Amino acid sequence: MSSVPLSVYLVLALILFCIGLFGALTKRNAVIVLISIELMLNAVNINLIAFAKYGINPSITGQIFSLFTITVAAAEAAVGLAILIALYRNRKTVNVDEMDIMKR
Amino acid sequence: MNPIIWLIPVLPLLSFVLLLLFGRRLKEASAVVGSLLTLGSLILSVVVFMGQWGGASVKQTAEWLAIGDTVLTVGYEINPLNALMLVIVSFVSFLIQVYSKGYMHDDDRFPVFFAYLGLFTFAMLGLVISPNLLQLYIFWELVGVGSFLLIGYYFYKSEAREAAKKAFIMTRIGDVGLFIGIILLFWQVGSFELDAIFDAVTAGDISQGWITLTAILIFVGAIGKSGQFPLHTWLPDAMEGPTPVSALIHAATMVAAGVYLVAAMFPLFEASEAALTTVAVVGGFTAIFAATIGLAQADIKRVLAYSTVSQLGYMMLALGSSGYVAGIFHLTTHAFFKALLFLAAGSVIHAVHTQNIHEMGGLWKKMKWTAPLFLIGAMAISGVPLLSGFFSKDEILAATYADGRFGLFWIAVIATFLTAFYMFRLFFLVFTGESQGKVKKVQESPGVMVFPMVVLGILAVIAGYINTPVTPILDDYLAQNPYLEIHHHESYWWIPIVATVVSLFGIFMAWLVYAKKKVKRLSEASPDFHFILLNKYFIDETYDYSFVKGTRGFSYFWYYIDRFVVEGVIQLVTGAVGWISKTSSKAHNGQVQLYGSVAFAGMAVLLLIVAWLGGYLT
Amino acid sequence: MTLEKLLSYDWGIMAPEFTILIVATLLSLMDLFMPNKTSRKPLALLGIAGVIIAIVFSVLQIGTEPTSILFDTYRFDAFALAFKLLFLVATGLILLLAIDYEGEREWEFRGEFFYLLLTALLGAMMMASSADLITLFVGLELLSISSYILAGIRKNNLHSNEAAFKYVVNGGIATAITLFGMSYIYGLTGSTNLYEISEALTNPAVEQNAFLLVMAFVMLLVGLAFKIAAAPFHMWAPDVYQGSATPVTAFLSVVSKSAGFALILKMFLITFLSVQGWHNAIILELQPYIAVIAGVTMVVGNVVALRQRNIKRMFAYSSIAHAGYVLVPFVSLSLLVFKMTWFYLLAYLLMNIGAFAVIQFVTEKERSEDFTAFSGLYKRAPWVAVMMAVFILSLAGLPFTAGFIGKFGIFMSSLGTGHYVLASVMIATTVISYVYYFNILVQIFFRKGEVDRLLPSIGLLIVMIICGAGTIFFGIYPGAAYDFFQEFDMNELFIK
Repeated sequence: MSSVPLSVYLVLALILFCIGLFGALTKRNAVIVLISIELMLNAVNINLIAFAKYGINPSITGQIFSLFTITVAAAEAAVGLAILIALYRNRKTVNVDEMDIMKR
Repeated sequence: MNPIIWLIPVLPLLSFVLLLLFGRRLKEASAVVGSLLTLGSLILSVVVFMGQWGGASVKQTAEWLAIGDTVLTVGYEINPLNALMLVIVSFVSFLIQVYSKGYMHDDDRFPVFFAYLGLFTFAMLGLVISPNLLQLYIFWELVGVGSFLLIGYYFYKSEAREAAKKAFIMTRIGDVGLFIGIILLFWQVGSFELDAIFDAVTAGDISQGWITLTAILIFVGAIGKSGQFPLHTWLPDAMEGPTPVSALIHAATMVAAGVYLVAAMFPLFEASEAALTTVAVVGGFTAIFAATIGLAQADIKRVLAYSTVSQLGYMMLALGSSGYVAGIFHLTTHAFFKALLFLAAGSVIHAVHTQNIHEMGGLWKKMKWTAPLFLIGAMAISGVPLLSGFFSKDEILAATYADGRFGLFWIAVIATFLTAFYMFRLFFLVFTGESQGKVKKVQESPGVMVFPMVVLGILAVIAGYINTPVTPILDDYLAQNPYLEIHHHESYWWIPIVATVVSLFGIFMAWLVYAKKKVKRLSEASPDFHFILLNKYFIDETYDYSFVKGTRGFSYFWYYIDRFVVEGVIQLVTGAVGWISKTSSKAHNGQVQLYGSVAFAGMAVLLLIVAWLGGYLT
Repeated sequence: MTLEKLLSYDWGIMAPEFTILIVATLLSLMDLFMPNKTSRKPLALLGIAGVIIAIVFSVLQIGTEPTSILFDTYRFDAFALAFKLLFLVATGLILLLAIDYEGEREWEFRGEFFYLLLTALLGAMMMASSADLITLFVGLELLSISSYILAGIRKNNLHSNEAAFKYVVNGGIATAITLFGMSYIYGLTGSTNLYEISEALTNPAVEQNAFLLVMAFVMLLVGLAFKIAAAPFHMWAPDVYQGSATPVTAFLSVVSKSAGFALILKMFLITFLSVQGWHNAIILELQPYIAVIAGVTMVVGNVVALRQRNIKRMFAYSSIAHAGYVLVPFVSLSLLVFKMTWFYLLAYLLMNIGAFAVIQFVTEKERSEDFTAFSGLYKRAPWVAVMMAVFILSLAGLPFTAGFIGKFGIFMSSLGTGHYVLASVMIATTVISYVYYFNILVQIFFRKGEVDRLLPSIGLLIVMIICGAGTIFFGIYPGAAYDFFQEFDMNELFIK
């Protein structure tokens, strides 16, 4: 029935995760950085769902876990954006590389 | 629990707390509070000391902390050795507090000074009665803290701050050695108790290699505290502290803690020939090395500081040569005459407001008490017959000779000569000749300062009679320790004679060189004696070139080794730490994505190594 | 799930969590309906009352049998209780600090501050108590997200904004990495319950995929290392600690970090202790990596602290270094691992919160976070100066302080298990740490500063006295804490 093996899902998740990590570490725009972090979290969801269906011991728990992940990720994104807006009000910039008043 | 014993350290602690809390109100009455409480400790110490004659050791412990199966205890132990130390420490501390009342008069942080003295005395007394190595180590560190605070007492002087820092860091280096030694001993024996360790050593439960290693590591701690080569450089700098502090901490008590430590752990050292040799060689080398540097110093306190280093070297040499009694004996007499010398030096500094000996001179007539007392101290340290230093130094020489280390024996003899020479150089420059100073009206110090000096002066004369070949009181007393075998070597009749001749020769040389100026002037005034005087001058010159210049060169050589090699190594270590610190804090440039990248790199490296070691990459 | 089933649970064991939850809700409602101009200080008192009630509930629970409710996702045992007590005490003290925090004029949102502190505490308590990856994760995120807002709560302060944003980005990445690790573990075992995972991992099918398991382990370790700020995952900490309000910094460096350690101990010891790697038990095989992380953390924390002038930044590095020390018992993994970690965290709680109380006092009066703000403190406020000296000596690990006992215990346990290199690194870096700790002391006692007298407010004074007394008491008589810890049977953690 299913012709797509588990490993393909896992590789897809890994690739998504790496893209997210790359974006989070290189993009100048803070909004994109936050979105990249969401991408990393979503890669986890793919993993969880794939394992829930094709894992060694398939079970519904993975799907429940991913529901929680989605919720928490939403909360995190909301807080991240709120903080970014506060920062933008004071600083008038969303460029990550300009946020360096604290160093050494 | 016998309240007499634990009250001994608690009284000075009480003085510390009281003065810290109420010092502002007490003002100069702080000295009375501090002195009286220390006097209390002294009286109790004497009672305990008396009880040790023929009495058995007392030990009392209580459980403090249990980690797994190991139970750590706290408590106290009194044996002949530490009962003697208790008396020395509380006695010198008491006298110094009396003296400080005069010396520190008008200082605006007067109560703080006495509070620190209380803290130090507490720590030192606590160290002495510790029955186990852990408690000993804790007090050992606390003694270091007290010393740090007192050296840095004049904190508004940058030299004092630097000296305090240096003293703390240099002694810490030794402490790390001591700590590792203690831990290794614990690992081998399973206990910090001194008794348990000695039992294990006697029963042969520890291999020879471990005994040697741990003994040497413990000796490293002693090297740091007692200012032995190569960790001695902090001691001369520590003279930036007030002079009473130099007398108490850096002459009589704290620096002797290293010697005490080796003596207290003596059964361990005795079990290893290599450890004893290390102690003896380091001690002997330090004795002569510091003595040569002492020849070239112009600061009165620095001369005394190097002299202290050298005398501590003597004590280590004695212990390393199995001369247990000789080492303790010299520790005792040295505590008295060196404290006397420092107090007298303090009295001189108090009067002339300089520490440079070339700016002094002619004080003999102006300081009717200080001058003779200084002379007594100088004679005692030089080993002039029938004074205390004579007997203890002879013991050390005899022990070294009996141990068969003839090279070290002759080094010790030469150091005796140098000691006499530089001490009397100091004496002649400061007390004889013309006044070179700017202060015209030199006044003798007040009675409160003279009194402690007189007491110490009397002791500097008579303390030697507790252990003459005829009256071996100390010998019998210390022999009560069950873990010790006191080596009785035969007495050599010729050693006192050699020592006497050598030290008198040193004094004579000092006289020739530093009192000669009078002679020179006389020669110009009386042409009749010109020929003879010229000859004399010629001898002086020869002597000057061959001996003084030679030794001076030697002395500078070591001084520079000390300055550049020893300090260089220390600089290198601090430099490396500084470099790491600088580069890694520069990397912290405020860029959040860099932080993430560093973390990612860290994770990637971890994963790669795991994968590689797991064989997944081949 | 029927109502009977729901009612049949022994909800009583969650009393401390419920107390905190109810108080937090109450606070948020009161904050909402209070007039804008009214002072929010009473809210903090309510918060403290809640924390004290929760502490009382927890103390009453000592000795209770381990219980699991809610399909084994919430588990009450001695381990959880011991750590929860630490979090509660720390949060109580930090609330006291926060009452008197004046900050600058933007400090007008205190109401939020108090209940967010409680939700963060709730997250930490859930982390200690949950036995399921899902609830663990939710607890962790409750703590983290509350902390992000706390870090940025001075919303008109540029430093605070920046700190919060940096925290969100780094925290988000860490969360993603942790979750990715968790997803592999779920995939290999088909379960999210820690005890079921530990059983399922012994399955031969898992051993064929040992590599995935090891990767999961490393990713979990990295994600949690972010939380405790272990090097090289520590770089967010100095910026965040510097930019946050001082009570928040104290919270992050004590509660958040302790919760991270509780999670590390719990997760790794329950799930991985009995699992085979490719040669040996997996935990033994990965020990060297944790050891390296611990060593690097100690070195980096202490060495970089040498160059800091901002006092909060210096304490951030100091707290990084302390994380390194606390990792040591986990590496040596003797029977005493819980006792050593717990005692050190207790000592660290007392000395660090005490030190932050003094830092808050001084930086507020001086309007400067440079460490020279401390100069002449002994003349200006002698008692506070003496307290600070106690905290610093304890942080430096000198005798007669709780810090010494903690460090000594850790040191002995690492020697006992033969980790000589780690033990030597610990000693060497401790010696380095003396330099910067004593620099502060030199400022306090030996430098001349302003001459006016300073008086701390009641709240700060109470915190200083509690922390100072605790630091000295546990330094002289640590047996009290050890005996108390004896009440907690850590073996309960391993009984399913």
